[in-house]
Amino acid sequence: MTSLRDRARGCLLGLAAGDALGAPAENLTPAEIRRRWGRLTEIEGGGTDDTEYAIFAASLLVRHGHDLRAHDVAAAYRAEIIPRVSGPMRGAGFSELGTVEALRRGLEPPLTGLVHAHGWSDGLAMRAAPYGIFCPGDPAEAARLVEQDGLVSGSGEGIVGGRAVAGAVAAAMGGTTPDEAVAAALAVIPADSWTARNVVRVRDVLASFPDPGGSELVEALHRAVVVRHYPWTDVAPEAVALALAAFLAGGGEVEASVTFGVSLGRDADTIGAIAGAVAGAARGERGVPARWAARIGPVTGKCLPVVAGRHVLDVADELAEGL
Amino acid sequence: MSGDRIRGAVAGLAVGDAVGWPAARHRAALHAPWSRRLHRELDAFAEEHQVTTLPVPFALNQPVAPLRIGPSDDAEWLAWTLLTIDRPRAEAFRDLVPSRPGAGPPGAGQPAGQPGAGPAAGRPSGLPGAGPSGGAPAPIRARISVATALDNLANGVEPPASGHDNPHHFDDAAAIRAVAFGVLGRDPTEDAQVTNAGDGVLAAQAMAAAVAAGSMSGDVAAAVEAALDRLPADTAIGHNARLALSVARKAGDPFAAVPALDAALLDHVYSYGVGAAQTVPVALALAEAAGGELTRAVPAAACLAPLADSAPALTGALTGACGGYGAIPEGWTAPARTLAGCCLPDLAGRDLIELLEGIA
Repeated sequence: MTSLRDRARGCLLGLAAGDALGAPAENLTPAEIRRRWGRLTEIEGGGTDDTEYAIFAASLLVRHGHDLRAHDVAAAYRAEIIPRVSGPMRGAGFSELGTVEALRRGLEPPLTGLVHAHGWSDGLAMRAAPYGIFCPGDPAEAARLVEQDGLVSGSGEGIVGGRAVAGAVAAAMGGTTPDEAVAAALAVIPADSWTARNVVRVRDVLASFPDPGGSELVEALHRAVVVRHYPWTDVAPEAVALALAAFLAGGGEVEASVTFGVSLGRDADTIGAIAGAVAGAARGERGVPARWAARIGPVTGKCLPVVAGRHVLDVADELAEGL
Repeated sequence: MSGDRIRGAVAGLAVGDAVGWPAARHRAALHAPWSRRLHRELDAFAEEHQVTTLPVPFALNQPVAPLRIGPSDDAEWLAWTLLTIDRPRAEAFRDLVPSRPGAGPPGAGQPAGQPGAGPAAGRPSGLPGAGPSGGAPAPIRARISVATALDNLANGVEPPASGHDNPHHFDDAAAIRAVAFGVLGRDPTEDAQVTNAGDGVLAAQAMAAAVAAGSMSGDVAAAVEAALDRLPADTAIGHNARLALSVARKAGDPFAAVPALDAALLDHVYSYGVGAAQTVPVALALAEAAGGELTRAVPAAACLAPLADSAPALTGALTGACGGYGAIPEGWTAPARTLAGCCLPDLAGRDLIELLEGIA
């Protein structure tokens, strides 16, 4: 029997490992990834914004619990993020900087997430895991909570994508099978959404590939959900579907899910982080390869100075304390 | 509807389209691909050598006609909409699918890179349909929202998902096409949903309503009011429209309003400037601040460089509808009427106002 604390630690460790493993593969084509690494299995450097924003989201939950509201999140941006943005906002996607600009202009959520063009960013999905940890076995509540965070910086499919990931993690925290976790993700988002259609598409693709291993599956998944005529890759419906596909292709096992996830390229660090978080919640801390865990230290705060020095395992323990 | 004001809306859009700096970049698509590659290399040269002399669209060994002042993407997509408006919208778009590069068999529709005198080189702008690959249908050019919608249609994703499952669902491609629906007093929603969703569809509804009201009454206040009726205040476009109007009223004059609109509406975060939640509010605010006068509103719109691809065109459509064709300087209507075919090659050489025969 895996304890909730163990699953929480596995979840955030898996997130951090997937983030770090995928970072050098971000925006590379699958063919280029194969050329450089064959299969990318070893963490080369540190994690990115995914881990630091997830730690920040967890701190909101620790403070506000189930009462967390969008205005609490906006207040935290104003108090803890914006004063430390001097010059470049490193690691931030369009949605984070667009949100900061909207807050600086005095707007309040949900307008802060609506007025910039990147409402569908995967920025919420990448930091949704703590909400799932906080609501083990209750995907609907995890989705409700993550939406409060999402209303500050996202809209539409960005929020839907965050809900899907939080729902999948909450289900995995409750000890479901991979198929059930993905079904839980679909159950907390509208069927008539881009994200839901993409998740169903990748599930269908996987069903037609009984032996998921080769590059043909990678190409088929790309054909199913990748937007061809758009240069940016942080589109939540795409990243979330590819991450859940990786989780299914890896049979819910952390290393198999994450290494397949980052082999897909695109927003590889976020895909790896989401796949790692869901698989880590399913398998617990022992499910994360020890050689990966050894590479995960306290975050540097290079993207979010307010979380500098925090370690995902301590954050997981704090979240688990309230469960 | 007054015929003069219908013609004014359409010609006004073309004039505004021609005014913005991106027009010449779109029209340079009529040149051989290597010519635009040289442009990109000159951009890199300026960066590398730290020189502030930036390249402009140029014609080395290529015809100069495309680089003269003239309309580009928006006028062509408006013309296409007028020509196909009686057809079911998804069907009309689906007809464009095979000519997308990469949509057909491998290699089909890909222009060959031909330095020197390629087929495009000596081509007069009035030669319809002769694409750079000579004979094969020429590839069309479109905004990211439209390109993605065409991919969606090709993959069996029908409206409204074709416009919704789309990273640029919020852009103003449908708002531009909505001018055609506006002058005819028709609802643009079915058309808009093929390529857009959310603010992108609201923008189309607002533009059609404003153009209809403007060409009915000639009154810019009525046009703005008709647009606001379609834009809920709790949407980004509705919020921005009211903010833009208030900022421009305070400035009192379209040119004076430019820096205030920049500060209020543009966050300068994103890589593209065709968001309907910015361009349509700017067009409404400048049209109103100019009292409906195209010659005051459109130049101000062109000053907002990030929005210059479409805000001047939308502003031109609104003020053209209010003031009519006769109020647009002939020096502008003459070059703006003739389409270049830089996005929809079949339209090369077509006269935009002649397309309105039987309508206006």
